[in-house]
Amino acid sequence: MDTKPYMQDRAAAEFFSRLERGEFQTTRCRACGETHYPPRVVCPHCLGEDLEWVDLPREGTLIAFTQQTDAIRCRMPDVLGMVELDGIGNLFTRIDAPFEELSIGMKVAFGTWTSLDGVLLHHFHPV
Amino acid sequence: MREAYIAGVAMTDIGWHERDPHDMGAQVCSEALRDAGLEASQVQGLLSTPHGYMSDTRKMITQRMADYLGMTCGLMLDIDSGGNSTSVAVHIACDRIRLGEIDSCLVFAAQREAPPKQIKNDIIGHFHLIKAANSLYDSYQAAYGVISPLPFYAMAIQRYMYLHGIPAEDIARVAVLLRDHALKHPQAAYKEPLSLEQVLSDKLISPPIHRFESSEMHDGAAAVVLVSRELVRDRGVRVAGMAEAHDPTSFVPYRGEISRFPCVGRAARTALDRAGYDIADIDVAEVYGAFAGMEPMMYEELGFFAPGEAPAAIREGRTTHGGDVLLNPSGGRLSLGHPAYATPLLEFTEVVRQLRGEAGERQRPGAAVGLIHTEQGFINGSIVAVLDREKE
Repeated sequence: MDTKPYMQDRAAAEFFSRLERGEFQTTRCRACGETHYPPRVVCPHCLGEDLEWVDLPREGTLIAFTQQTDAIRCRMPDVLGMVELDGIGNLFTRIDAPFEELSIGMKVAFGTWTSLDGVLLHHFHPV
Repeated sequence: MREAYIAGVAMTDIGWHERDPHDMGAQVCSEALRDAGLEASQVQGLLSTPHGYMSDTRKMITQRMADYLGMTCGLMLDIDSGGNSTSVAVHIACDRIRLGEIDSCLVFAAQREAPPKQIKNDIIGHFHLIKAANSLYDSYQAAYGVISPLPFYAMAIQRYMYLHGIPAEDIARVAVLLRDHALKHPQAAYKEPLSLEQVLSDKLISPPIHRFESSEMHDGAAAVVLVSRELVRDRGVRVAGMAEAHDPTSFVPYRGEISRFPCVGRAARTALDRAGYDIADIDVAEVYGAFAGMEPMMYEELGFFAPGEAPAAIREGRTTHGGDVLLNPSGGRLSLGHPAYATPLLEFTEVVRQLRGEAGERQRPGAAVGLIHTEQGFINGSIVAVLDREKE
């Protein structure tokens, strides 16, 4: 049963394959210098197509978190969160810690894990 | 320029019907036309939406209805813009009527989803529906198995409560109040009262959202007939102003505060300007809040209250019968029920009934100006309509 997210554009496919190689990266426009998250195939700032891959910060701030009970790719309990990456924006990710131990404003750091259907994804854990 | 009016409205009971959506659609279309005093052959425009987000949906729904009811149209469109779809339809219908291209337009939606319990009991058998729900989200969201916007709303509500120091009771109270409103609505999905304790003691489906603070997916249909002034028989309600606004987001925002929704205020201010009213002139409004916590946030974004102040206003009774403004008298999405594609038309139906003085026990005495707010996605886009009663 194929449960992979099937709406993957070229940039998303590249993002996840870089993640498998341990790289946590997004695109930056060589023409205007704008860094985007999520990664793009076209720069939304200047519409340029000459983009390069650059490292994302591996630490951020937890700005919100919750827990879902009807997840289809993760073991329960499945804690999800929004992490603010300095200078980049908000990243939606899984949080590798019990819900009860989390608070808004907490510093969190990057890691990877494999979902139930074998897809390597990022998650963050309290520092 | 010509003006557009709402001449007829209709809705089914809201609940789990297990009825063919085409049957429900035909029922509300004929009821709305009878309400407007029009024959089907007089209808010049026909607009509708898919039958659901996860349904094995049919295509060309309007064409089939035109055949079924015998309509010769000059405008026909199946619209899919998420929760806003039928508001977009009403907006287009009004514009075509104002331009003089058509004199009448029927907008309808009939929603029928596979019941959540049925899906949960047979996940493999319904896996194509789960994948369809998952595909609403981009790769960076879908990868985490998200099949509803619930976790995004949970995080927005968590931040709203955090930023303004709102206690859980103030959010639970919204669900209780909307249930009280729905008990006065004979077509509402829920018939039993709800207590604060019941809401707070039930399970957290995605914290801080308790089960009763989240709207369920329902079946149901609704229709609205829009006409030019010449076709208004009596009890005409004018579409005084309407506006649409979107933010550059798709579900949870990748930049900025995730508990703010700027498109709502922009749509409201523009619609009120076009109608020549101030937010304080609104007597009654139907607001699209699919979660109890989103209700105060939407009331604030629309401009009824300053940021962080809606929960106190709700607690003080300012948003219910006898208050400053009557918000979601139908029971709202939480307690009238939420057949999502039909929801905007249910909101129009309620406000039209209020302005005509036909809302029975739910009537706000003398209601003359009403507002409807709808949204799509994670409130990534909003449409606001301002309606008024034809002056005597």
